[in-house]
Amino acid sequence: MIGFFQSIRRAPYQFVAAFMVLFFTLFLITSLIITLSFIYGLLGYVETRPQVTVYFQTKALENDIFKIRDELVKTDKTTSVKYISKQQAFTIYKEANKDTPLLLETISADILPASLEIYAKTPQMLPEIANFLKDKQGVDEVYFQKDIVDRLINLTSILRYASLILFTFLIIMSIVVMTTTTMFKVALKKDEIELLQLLGATKFYIKKPYLKEGMGYGLIASGAVFIVVGFILVYAFPSLQTYFRGIPSLDLTFAPFPLRVWPMNVKFILIVFSIVTLFGMVIGLIASSLAVDKYLSK
Amino acid sequence: MIIFDNVVKRYPLGNVALDSVSFEIEDNDFVFLVGPSGAGKTTILRLLLREYAPTSGSIIVDDTDIASKSFKNISHLRQNLGVVFQDFKILSDRNVFENIAISLKVQDNNLDHTQLKDAVQKVLEMVNLPEKGMLFPAQLSAGELQRVAIARAIVGHRDIIIADEPTGNLDPKTTWEIMKLFKKIEGKKTIIIATHNTDIVNSLKKRVLVMKEGKLVKDIRKGGYEL
Repeated sequence: MIGFFQSIRRAPYQFVAAFMVLFFTLFLITSLIITLSFIYGLLGYVETRPQVTVYFQTKALENDIFKIRDELVKTDKTTSVKYISKQQAFTIYKEANKDTPLLLETISADILPASLEIYAKTPQMLPEIANFLKDKQGVDEVYFQKDIVDRLINLTSILRYASLILFTFLIIMSIVVMTTTTMFKVALKKDEIELLQLLGATKFYIKKPYLKEGMGYGLIASGAVFIVVGFILVYAFPSLQTYFRGIPSLDLTFAPFPLRVWPMNVKFILIVFSIVTLFGMVIGLIASSLAVDKYLSK
Repeated sequence: MIIFDNVVKRYPLGNVALDSVSFEIEDNDFVFLVGPSGAGKTTILRLLLREYAPTSGSIIVDDTDIASKSFKNISHLRQNLGVVFQDFKILSDRNVFENIAISLKVQDNNLDHTQLKDAVQKVLEMVNLPEKGMLFPAQLSAGELQRVAIARAIVGHRDIIIADEPTGNLDPKTTWEIMKLFKKIEGKKTIIIATHNTDIVNSLKKRVLVMKEGKLVKDIRKGGYEL
């Protein structure tokens, strides 16, 4: 530890250069991980919503709605069809707007429409179900979510590839800059390395302090990112709350274990920063290793 | 035991540094390697350190042919060799204790601070610098720096001491003090000293290997030397 801080004191500009490039890389990686997690969470959320929701006119009779429901079930294109009565719709509305009493005062169960929430067997059946419903008597509006899901899938896919390219670029850039700055430092320690070699030090023994230093840089840079991103999240929290109003939770389901992304929680933040810290330390490790290897191979 | 058997070293540009050199050095022997500049003394030491391999021939150190292309354990070989240079090669940003401890750590990185302290103090007493452990190189004279270099070379289990012109930068009085240190360890370790200093060689009456133009021209037991 003392050696690490001595090294920073002896070559402060090298430290600043390595720190800045690592900070920039890790900051962007953190931002991308958080953004992607939210988008995947949102995608998962949307996918669990009814794929077709049909709202009936307020004067539509329950029996007519049940008849349509039964016809739908008989088509064998659905996995489930759920009836939401006016009263149930009102309960949902009250729950969603419990913080704004003004909105509740003006609404009663009578003016809310009854609806059917329909899940199709395959996405290809969604347009057929929607068309089938459009012509039925008493139907007011057919809300078809396929477009939203498709758009989200599309966006996620684009973002994933863009992130992959950006990740690769950032990581290569960091490794190259850190390798170059570490090589300057290694060159300054020429006499010591030469002596260590003559004394019989193994390659790993010579490399070890530089590897530790590289990992230390990664640790410091990820710590700084943790602080900065933490402040940004705290600052943005009210806006996020407004944006995700009505969405109780966003979860990542592709992970080996379910991970809640929203509402913000300590587990999610710790996992993100563990990944980022690991990234930082590995980048530092690779860069230092390359720098010393390059010098020793001369 | 060290055996040079028909060792040839030819540099890439074609100049021959060693030409069929053969000799044997027994364990704990004290040998001077003498000859004019360019005779091949330093090449022999560098081959022993395996800084490079010979063009042909074999070099056996403790039953291992270090000249072989398959020999890879250079670190292990060097951990058994102590090296003393004309320019001392003392790290200026470390104190005397650290400069010596580095040699021990390379041999055994698991030594704790107490073990290091004890071993370094013991060797500092041996080279007559018992109170100088915390001083930095800039605070020491040339003679003292060479004593530190010797302490670094003999500390731990380094059984072969190689010295390349160890007194080249020292005045006559200090030269003798340094030679007394080598005499102190005589019989405990193999010592090979490359030197131009005829006074020392002639006074100490040790084995002398005389090199000239890359060839071993004389091997004198308890001998002397004239330039």
